[in-house]
Amino acid sequence: MMLRNSELWGGLFWLLIGGFVVWVGHDMGLGRLHEPGPGFAFYWIGILMCALSLAVIGQALVGGGPSLAALWAGTRWLKVLSVVVLLLVYGVGFEAIGFIPCTLALLLVLMWFVDPVDWRVALLVAVVATVGVWAAMTKWLKIQLPAGVLEGWLR
Amino acid sequence: MDILAGLSQGFAVALQPINLLYCFIGVFIGTLVGVLPGIGPVSAMSLLLPVTLSGTPESGIIMMAGIYYGSMYGGSTTSILVNIPGEAASVVTCIDGHAMAKQGRAGPALGIAALGSFAAGTFALIALMLVAPALARVAIAFGPPEYFSLMVLGLTVLSFLSQGAMAKSLLMAAVGIILGLIGIDQITAQPRLTFGRLELLDGIGLVPIVMGLFGVAEILSNLEQELKREVIKARIGGLWPSLQDWSASKWAIVRGTLLGFFLGILPGGGAVIASFASYAIEKKVSKTPERFGHGAIEGVAGPEAANNAAAGGAFIPLMTLGIPPNVVMALLLGAFIIHGLQPGPLLMTQRPDLFWGIVASMYIGNAMLLVLNMPLIGIWVQVLKLPYRILFPLILMFCIVGVFASGNAVFDVFVMVVFGVLGYLMRKFGYEPAPLVLAFVLGPMLENNLRKSLILSHGDFQIFFVRPISAACLLLAVAALIAPLLPALARRRAALPVEP
Repeated sequence: MMLRNSELWGGLFWLLIGGFVVWVGHDMGLGRLHEPGPGFAFYWIGILMCALSLAVIGQALVGGGPSLAALWAGTRWLKVLSVVVLLLVYGVGFEAIGFIPCTLALLLVLMWFVDPVDWRVALLVAVVATVGVWAAMTKWLKIQLPAGVLEGWLR
Repeated sequence: MDILAGLSQGFAVALQPINLLYCFIGVFIGTLVGVLPGIGPVSAMSLLLPVTLSGTPESGIIMMAGIYYGSMYGGSTTSILVNIPGEAASVVTCIDGHAMAKQGRAGPALGIAALGSFAAGTFALIALMLVAPALARVAIAFGPPEYFSLMVLGLTVLSFLSQGAMAKSLLMAAVGIILGLIGIDQITAQPRLTFGRLELLDGIGLVPIVMGLFGVAEILSNLEQELKREVIKARIGGLWPSLQDWSASKWAIVRGTLLGFFLGILPGGGAVIASFASYAIEKKVSKTPERFGHGAIEGVAGPEAANNAAAGGAFIPLMTLGIPPNVVMALLLGAFIIHGLQPGPLLMTQRPDLFWGIVASMYIGNAMLLVLNMPLIGIWVQVLKLPYRILFPLILMFCIVGVFASGNAVFDVFVMVVFGVLGYLMRKFGYEPAPLVLAFVLGPMLENNLRKSLILSHGDFQIFFVRPISAACLLLAVAALIAPLLPALARRRAALPVEP
């Protein structure tokens, strides 16, 4: 039962990160008190992180906490996961394929499949928003967005 | 006399057409993000941070400031009409504001919120003008130990005021400091925690972190549950409150303004806490507390005045000490730094046009907001009818564009997604993102001042305790640390609202 405690896992995660920060700080060099080195702050803040993580773990062991499954019970977690995956795919294709095709595809997938609205509304919103933002950024604010496969056409 | 001369110089800057335009854009976007649930001032400001680069520093900062205090105004609209706060500082306005709307009194509720906000915003500006120069003169005497201790106090108080276990909030502050230290060491030029990636040599950008933790994480959290909104359908007329409404609200506005202003100045304090504290006080001093929760207009007037006064007060530590008291001010500090400016005691003497220009623009912005909020309520109601399933893809797109534009690198988009997932999980596991972001901004300054202090004192930690201001700050920080151990204070802390 204790192993399902989300508070415990949260504390353990940060304890691991804290331990890593301590190691990195030590590795970078602590220097001396009158001339602290680049790892000085890392080392001591890492120790603080470990101490605070242990406090969280202690509270979890004494006071308990919700189980990991309970945190996602009755939620639409699949939609959350879909959005994260879509954003990562978007990031991979962003420069090579370009802002306009990538954004259009992202908006359409989100509005057709992830949290659906009428397909005509989705199409209208996606086209207007993508082209509008591209025009505002590149023409008005002079901020370059990747043209990708449309490079020749947009030039 | 100095103040009047400064103010006239400020109005000369703020009334330039381009600055008026930026001010209008700022308060308009601020009101819009205040109205829209799911995107707050923090996300909007970080989104527009790169846009400020295309203009002068004063234009950019005027716009960013406008977004902040504009969102305080706009947040009340959703609270009253939909019972969903547009941003965290308007949570408490839902209670009586929406109850008034259901009784057919949405107009006076919106009216008193706008007018109370205007009065409080104006007071906060006058106080900012009077307090800031005096505090800046004191701050010139601050050395590295004072700055270090003040920052420790700010982070500790913010952790104390955050919801949930204090150990978790402090843990997030520690994580924020570490993230802030990634990149080239300022003293030895050694890369730190860069994992061999060139993109990390300059450190992680503020915009991707904030957009991830606040923008993307908010969307992911909202997607978990279906958001149901029911906008009040009856015609909203008669925005001007009646004499009886004024009589019931006037002292609530005064109390809310004073309370909000002082809570806004405190490190770690801010608009959210101010609005909740104001509501609690109004209920306590009322002769008929049973009306609260059923449409008491004081329950709208006080908190709305408090959150606007707090928004004004929060500028004082940033402008005079260069230390942001909350996440929004941390973003504003980012805007200053992007333009090669360092807010602090010297800002008023080195760039009086900028300081007074910002102050004067806030007067103008407050007047613009009154104009925007009173007659344009109908437009905001239409905006509220936009379904979240259309809104969230658009917000995501703006997040991506804003993040990419901030550094012109896809790497930042991935950083945003990573912090979006982290922020979502942090909410799930009860960890607050606000201490992390504030510590991220303060981290490099904190380390720099710590190392300078130790070099100055030849490694003697007593330097932090023999200097009165530094010692007082550390004493207060220790008090904030041990306060949750006292049962009475722990109970009060558990009831505190969340500060973004």
